[in-house]
Amino acid sequence: MPQLPQRKVGLIACSGEDLPEGTVSRRAALLVLERLRPGATVTLCLPLFLAGEERERAFARFYPTIAIDGCEKRCAARATEMYSARPAASLVVSDLADSLGLARPQRLRGSDAAGEALARAVADEVARRVDGLLAVRGETAAVRQPDPTGVETVVADAACTCVSGISAASVVVGGQTVELLALPAIFALFREEGKSPENSATADDLMQQIKIYNAVAAEDENALSEAVADEYARFWAQTPAIGD
Amino acid sequence: MSDEERVIIIPCSGIGKAFGSVGREAAYVVTEELRPDCTDTVCLSLLTLGDEDARRRVRKHPTITIDGCPTACARVNVEQAGVAPAAAFRVFDVFRRHKELRVRSVSDIGEAGQEMARILARDVAAKVDELRTGRR
Repeated sequence: MPQLPQRKVGLIACSGEDLPEGTVSRRAALLVLERLRPGATVTLCLPLFLAGEERERAFARFYPTIAIDGCEKRCAARATEMYSARPAASLVVSDLADSLGLARPQRLRGSDAAGEALARAVADEVARRVDGLLAVRGETAAVRQPDPTGVETVVADAACTCVSGISAASVVVGGQTVELLALPAIFALFREEGKSPENSATADDLMQQIKIYNAVAAEDENALSEAVADEYARFWAQTPAIGD
Repeated sequence: MSDEERVIIIPCSGIGKAFGSVGREAAYVVTEELRPDCTDTVCLSLLTLGDEDARRRVRKHPTITIDGCPTACARVNVEQAGVAPAAAFRVFDVFRRHKELRVRSVSDIGEAGQEMARILARDVAAKVDELRTGRR
């Protein structure tokens, strides 16, 4: 069955190769992704915003995003805002170290004791912000409990959207093209569930799903609903039902 | 050695893929162990954002990129900065030659990942030497 994208919090770390705090930003993001809030967080390589295409750039428009920067140049926060959307929260490792009275790391490669302590402190703060963002949306982050056997499960790759992508499609509303995130997945799901475009409830159901993933102004809703219903009717006609 | 003769090594910053971590480790093996006196690195994110100093450095020095996935962010972003990399390495090419090396994870590449990084680092160091010899 087609899966609708799940609401998660996006983490963008600067990963700065040239400064120890950049390595800490990366380590902290991975701690949250793999251990503290797996399943509730997702990431994207920062340079993909420039090298990538529309689905990469849709990242922060789709996910409320936390930028984790190593230094005051704030590359992660600036790039996220420049290429996608303003981050919901922004942390700077060096600022956090100062405010918590933690020592600055000295190593670029791997982690020294100071780097590890700082990465854990940053990760805890990021996890707290993740919980806050999901709570606003009425969702709860899955907090990973330590395995009683003491065996750590290893995730080969972090949850990365350059693999999963965020599908998007456009509809024309009043002569203007409007891009809607998750629309292909929503259409596929509705088709599979046999929701006919001729059923009057289908248009309302479509809009309900679309509004989960896209901001829709109240004054635009009727026109958008009509355009989406027309598009879905075309999709329905062109896509054979399972078993046909 | 003068700053003029330095070679810049830029890994891809890949945080979502284990091969990204291998590329990053390989870059540090070159800049910290194998050729510490004649190589340096630049934050790819800074370059991506058009930082003038980062751009000046990749334009002034021969630059080697190391990428962890086919999107090739390091190579593409160096090209976007207006220069062709002097060489572009891919972690996957090392894996093709050494399929016995299985990288553990993004946050801990494990022994096999370390070995893969060392193999890649030696290739990169050889290219550094070639570039420096060619310049004399």
